[in-house]
Amino acid sequence: MGDTNQNYLTHPKGIMSWLLTLDHKRIGLMYLFGGLFFFFVGGLLALGMRAELAAPGNDFVSNDTYNSMYTLHGAIMIFLFIIPAIPGALGNILLPLMLGAKDVAFPRLNLFSFYLYSIGAIFFIYVLLSGGVDTGWTFYTPYSTTSNTNVMSTTMGIFIIGFSSILTGLNFIATVHKMRTPGLTWYKLPLFVWALYGTSLVQITATPVIAITMVLLMLERLLGIGIFDPAMGGDPVLFQHFFWFYSHPAVYIMILPAFGIISEIIPVHSRKKVWGYKFIAYSTLSIAFIGFLVWGHHMFTSGQSVLSQIVFSFITYFVGIPTGVKIFSWMLTMYKGQVSFTPPMLYALSFLFLFTIGGLTGIFLGAVALDIHLHDTYFVVAHFHYVMQGGTIVAFLGGLHHWWPKSFGTMYNQTIANIAAIGVFIAFNGTFFPQFLLGLRGMPRRYATYDPQFVEVHSYSTFWSGILGISIFIGVMNLLWSLRKSNKLDPGTNPWGALTMEWTHTSSPPHPHNFEEEPVLTHGPYDYDKVIVKPTFKK
Amino acid sequence: MSEEHHITPLKTYLVVATALFFLTAVTVWASYIDLGSFNIVLALLIAGTKAGVVATFFMHLLWDDKKNATIFVGSLMFLSIFIIITLTDTEFRGAVNPEIKDPINKRAALYSTLPLTDDHGYPLDKENNHHEGDKDHH
Repeated sequence: MGDTNQNYLTHPKGIMSWLLTLDHKRIGLMYLFGGLFFFFVGGLLALGMRAELAAPGNDFVSNDTYNSMYTLHGAIMIFLFIIPAIPGALGNILLPLMLGAKDVAFPRLNLFSFYLYSIGAIFFIYVLLSGGVDTGWTFYTPYSTTSNTNVMSTTMGIFIIGFSSILTGLNFIATVHKMRTPGLTWYKLPLFVWALYGTSLVQITATPVIAITMVLLMLERLLGIGIFDPAMGGDPVLFQHFFWFYSHPAVYIMILPAFGIISEIIPVHSRKKVWGYKFIAYSTLSIAFIGFLVWGHHMFTSGQSVLSQIVFSFITYFVGIPTGVKIFSWMLTMYKGQVSFTPPMLYALSFLFLFTIGGLTGIFLGAVALDIHLHDTYFVVAHFHYVMQGGTIVAFLGGLHHWWPKSFGTMYNQTIANIAAIGVFIAFNGTFFPQFLLGLRGMPRRYATYDPQFVEVHSYSTFWSGILGISIFIGVMNLLWSLRKSNKLDPGTNPWGALTMEWTHTSSPPHPHNFEEEPVLTHGPYDYDKVIVKPTFKK
Repeated sequence: MSEEHHITPLKTYLVVATALFFLTAVTVWASYIDLGSFNIVLALLIAGTKAGVVATFFMHLLWDDKKNATIFVGSLMFLSIFIIITLTDTEFRGAVNPEIKDPINKRAALYSTLPLTDDHGYPLDKENNHHEGDKDHH
């Protein structure tokens, strides 16, 4: 205390104070830079694949290398970037600040989660350097039990990272229940907290199943226990049930925190109270629950029974209801608001377009008859990139721009950030919209080469993927460039005029103990109709 | 968390232990009766009951904070969602189109324990029974 300029970035000093830190903000930053590193690696793999696909034939890489590239692109992006990025980085930094708490409920467990993530990451780096793995990120049996590539190391890495995810979820649930400042009742929580809470529930209930699945796969490879082998009374399709019982809810582990970010950005940058607070909060929980009942829609061509096809297809449509509730609530929040086109808001608007396209094409794929035609084509590739990149990663970039001044006390160049955001939007559509057309015309996914009739669309997609890579690179470099010393903002700055507690009750960057005294709640998180906060921008 | 620890009388422990032994005997007995696919359902029900009894009495869930019981019941619910919905696949597979099962068995032939078959389900000769051949299936 005393020195009000003291902040968590500079106090205490030294490398060990970072490696052994129990401060949720520092752990969040370590997740952030770990995640961004793997985003870069996964992105390079993606650009490599697009380069290969610019023309038919094996121009740059062999078929085996290509198989490794798409497997590692998927596994790295999902397990090392998208799943940990929002809860691990932004969630860790913001959750205690939004609750008016000093830290998460179990700070040591939090650091342990980060180290589990790092150990899992080392397995992936080993796989990357030692020749890769060629099963696809889904590890379907029976091929994954016989492939002679690095299946064991990859599954071991996923197994370990899974525990990091479970412990983070556990920590967040305990934090939300026990660490709220007096007076902060459930319906006064920022919606990002609701989103993290829903995500955490899915993390602790679903993630153990991927751990079991990976162990069963390892046992099948090592000992031939036969659980996936019909000759021994097993069932190869059972693997897909196990895998998707985790991996479909994992889609919601990835997208729910993104919904949370959008629910924060839109009211702040529209200067308007969020429309339908309780609807947004409860739709988060219902998506988390329905997400557990629909996994079989990934398996419509696996030979599963007609009964379960119908059941899964029917329940899948229900996901559309709470998702639609959210989209309309965000649109009504903007209606008659003072929308300002700041970089976070541009990302949020991109999200609304891209995620809606991704979500609606998901309804197409949820229909059995259509899915049998489109399964394993580029239509599916385009669909989940619209959800994962157009949804989650765009929201993550928006959140990063929104809370960057809070986390680091510096402001990036907003013009460059806006250009990058618009570039991401245009180039993303340029890259992935043509892939819907490719899929409808029958181009299968996971092939290094293709029929010459697809060459125009493929090369068009490759061209825009380069622009997309450059746009994201400019956006992130613009953020990092803002960290130079001359760029410090006044600690009291609130550049967006936001009302949530992390902006109104502590400095930017925050004090090592978050708040100098226990915060007293004076207004709700979205009371823009009652409280007037002017954006402040002092250097 | 409840502040004071509940002390369970020895009699309760003995009754519960007897019940567990009895249910174990029922499990063994039931395994000798052929109930078709209902055998696995029965075995799971008995095992689930036993686990529930252990958690309720031996692990003191009955006298503990009700939140813990809620979490326990919730986890059982998730497990049963997984098992029940998966059974709607495995128990009814091929019920409408019997040939829907063929590709699963054909792919299963990738394992060395079954003879390899071609795309129409006819066995391949032994010389091709090699992993290189497997990859070409994909």
